[in-house]
Amino acid sequence: MQNLEDLKEQVRKALPELDVVIGWTGGYDPLHATPHFIRRDEDIDKLQVNALCVHNLATYLPSMRGKKVGIIVKGCDSRSVVELLQEKLIDREDVTIFGFGCTGVVDQTKIRRIVGDVGNIDSCEVSGSEVKVSASGTEHKLAMSDVLSEKCATCRYPNAVLSDHFAGAEITSTATFEDGYKDVVEFEEKPEEEKFGFWLKEMDRCIRCYACRNACPMCVCRDHCVAQSRDPHWLSQEAHVRDKWMFQVIHAYHLAGRCTECGECQRACPVDIPILLFKKKMNKEIKEVFDYEAGINPDATPPLMTFKAEEDKITERKW
Amino acid sequence: MKIGVFVCHCGTNIEGTVDTAAVAAASREFPGVVFATDTMYACSEPGQDGIIEAIKEHKLDGVVVASCTPRMHEPTFRRTLERAGLNRYLFEMANIREHVSWIGKDREANTNKSADLVRMAAAKLLKNRPLFSKQFPVNKSVMVVGGGVAGIQAALDCANGGLKVVLVEKDTTIGGKMAKLDKTFPTVDCSSCVLGPLMVDVAQHPNINLHAYSEIEEVNGYVGNFEIKVKKKASYVDWDACTGCGLCVEKCPSRKATDFFNEKLATTKAINIPFPQAIPKKAKIDPDFCMKIQKDKCGVCAKVCPSEAIDFTQKDEFITENVGAVVAATGFDLFDWTVYGQYGGGKYPDVITSLQYERMLSASGPSEGHIKRPSDGKEPKNVVFIQCVGSRDKSVGRPYCSGFCCMYTAKQTILTKDHIPDSQSHVFYMDIRSPGKLYDEFTRRAMEEYGANYIRGRVSMIYPKGDNLVVRGADTLMGAQVEIDADLVVLAVGAEASVGATDLAKKLRISYDAYGFFMEGHPKLKPVETNTAGVYLAGACQGPKDIPASVAQGSAAASKVLGLFSQDMLASDPQVSVVDIKRCIGCGKCIQTCPFGAIKEIDFRGMKKADVIETICQGCGICTSTCPQGAVQLQHFTDNQILAEVNAICRF
Repeated sequence: MQNLEDLKEQVRKALPELDVVIGWTGGYDPLHATPHFIRRDEDIDKLQVNALCVHNLATYLPSMRGKKVGIIVKGCDSRSVVELLQEKLIDREDVTIFGFGCTGVVDQTKIRRIVGDVGNIDSCEVSGSEVKVSASGTEHKLAMSDVLSEKCATCRYPNAVLSDHFAGAEITSTATFEDGYKDVVEFEEKPEEEKFGFWLKEMDRCIRCYACRNACPMCVCRDHCVAQSRDPHWLSQEAHVRDKWMFQVIHAYHLAGRCTECGECQRACPVDIPILLFKKKMNKEIKEVFDYEAGINPDATPPLMTFKAEEDKITERKW
Repeated sequence: MKIGVFVCHCGTNIEGTVDTAAVAAASREFPGVVFATDTMYACSEPGQDGIIEAIKEHKLDGVVVASCTPRMHEPTFRRTLERAGLNRYLFEMANIREHVSWIGKDREANTNKSADLVRMAAAKLLKNRPLFSKQFPVNKSVMVVGGGVAGIQAALDCANGGLKVVLVEKDTTIGGKMAKLDKTFPTVDCSSCVLGPLMVDVAQHPNINLHAYSEIEEVNGYVGNFEIKVKKKASYVDWDACTGCGLCVEKCPSRKATDFFNEKLATTKAINIPFPQAIPKKAKIDPDFCMKIQKDKCGVCAKVCPSEAIDFTQKDEFITENVGAVVAATGFDLFDWTVYGQYGGGKYPDVITSLQYERMLSASGPSEGHIKRPSDGKEPKNVVFIQCVGSRDKSVGRPYCSGFCCMYTAKQTILTKDHIPDSQSHVFYMDIRSPGKLYDEFTRRAMEEYGANYIRGRVSMIYPKGDNLVVRGADTLMGAQVEIDADLVVLAVGAEASVGATDLAKKLRISYDAYGFFMEGHPKLKPVETNTAGVYLAGACQGPKDIPASVAQGSAAASKVLGLFSQDMLASDPQVSVVDIKRCIGCGKCIQTCPFGAIKEIDFRGMKKADVIETICQGCGICTSTCPQGAVQLQHFTDNQILAEVNAICRF
């Protein structure tokens, strides 16, 4: 990031008023970043902001309610913050948002597929157009376009949609809503059996670790999740694809009109199930029916959190 | 739980296409079922006694009856359980009549489906818990919305029964459509002569509080305890002071105001009283035409008013009324006939509506009872009546019959002959619908004694010829095309739901059909009830109705209200939502989506939680589908109960 020093300066100025500022720093190897909780001045120097900073830090906010929290956000992360504000799960006066223009983050799965063994990373250099990875003594030069996360390729909100501080210049995007949903349209057009077969195969891999749920910034039920509850007893504990699939369907329904498509669920999935597709499908429907996108306007009410006897685009009386 | 299953034959209704004995035999294998039998009529006295005996003999603590829809007999069987000493909610009904025997002929498939439905019911019953009602007090006053003849009748009957009545009317006077009519069929007696005394009774009755020129703004609460906000629209006249002397109307120089009472046949003064018998007889200013309000000139009415009642600065006022029940009697409005291009679409002044014709016939109308063509004021000799304008016509989205047009058209032909003895009436009709006491005789009289020329067929076009109109249509009995020179054309315009009826329905939380008419509780057995407790229907708001039917329904609604109020306490329905406080994370989504405002936020040991106000909750279940973690559960329809049903049917 070009203006990292500006960002650090903004954080330094704001820190005395805050309990913590959440950002990113270097992880367990040079290829990975990790969430970073800045409480003291010296923590600020470790701040890292680049294409490896994949985590949506908004996930931490609901559990830190009541504290004064600063948070560094990419454009997509900022939508999660806005959605949390819309749902009154966090308080605006307690959150200080540090925004910047994001040029996209990497997809570690793509890197792993090219590099192969990522267990022994020697070094990693990220520039605007290239990721240089040295793994087990072998140098790999990866074009950024080959390893960029899918959501970034069609990103419409590279800048924080809501921020108190903004470092550097804004980034312009020319992507349209349709660009982001080409994969959904393509999938929709497949025959029913093929779609069913696809999910049967994909969902069969699920190990029910619930990493998708835990990474999701909008999954706020936590200990009360229906996945593990006996009352209501929505899911059995059987190792059957129907229960695994059922959970993903419940997850997608709970996120309809709320999901900001940060993609954390899919990123966190250890077996690479493309579960973001479920949520994108719901969001596409929400856009068509309610002309609404989650996490854009902090004052808007999500459409499924209202009751209207008659909706404009749902004509119950004229079949 | 020991479950007993009773599979009803319903005579041959079910047994005809379902092997009930086989369903009973299959039921014995379902979890929890210890007893199963088929029975001839489960709802009959021997049928119910059989259930009670079985409960005692087999020590049953849950019952499934597989029979008809629960809408009719669920209360019956719940009472049966109570007589046998069981809680009424330890009962489930499998609908194997409407959902099975009446819709399929394949006996084997029907039998299998019936067994599946019983399996679901038994699976749910295993998860049922006893539920208990609570008692709450009733406010024994009633609001009647709409002061037409149905509303007047309902209000008077309730008031005579000793109830306090609040009558709300959106116009400045009660009387509704009936007050606009000249004569009524089939007796041809004067409309205002029969309605007038009732209107006076309303004004003088000590138990009736009339809010004219008012509308319902907001409805809160529930049966027995409604809290209704009423908007009293600004009339710019202090009605407490106004004596209805009419001096202001006489002196008002603004003569171009729209005369809604006379169906826009004429214009009226900017300050006016709609008709001499108006109740309340109070003046109202139409601000669009008042020069004082528009241009701050004039003010003559204020100068001449002997009681200084004029108040140009008056604003809408809101008042709150607390009542225990509501009768909706909002009536109907006329279909907008100008969609019919073939009748001129409104561009020929001598094509008028039947209600305009009534005002023309009426002695208190703008032409003082003389029939005059709007175009040149001449007396017409040839009058053509066209029936079914906006009735029985799918092409304009009005497939239903408005019911009363055949009769009033016959009446109008008779009155035409009475007013102009050398006139000739022609009626284009589709069918004559006159199934009432003395109704068919009346239409025969119009034809035979008064010489009305009835032509069976539709009109294809009306076009001008000189000063007159030519009506071209088909005579389907003759198989010929006919053209009739008409001096005046009267359209029997059909009825539709009154303007704003659907908005009121939403406020009252009652349903309405595709045309905006309010839905009754049951088309045959609950004609004046709605599916919202404490809200009743009277008159044409439920569907087109003539005067006798409207009056009868007004009285019927009043008798339902009086029946409801014969109890001092009402029992609440325990099928309401309950919050599991341990699971609730206090996100408040349920509060946002509840259509009834039945969920409030509470503070529980410093944590935000949701709490259901039991008496307001209607048991719709929206909160339960909103709550992500399943903390809100609708009693008797919990997630686990529904899942048990799903799992019973989706076995693999």
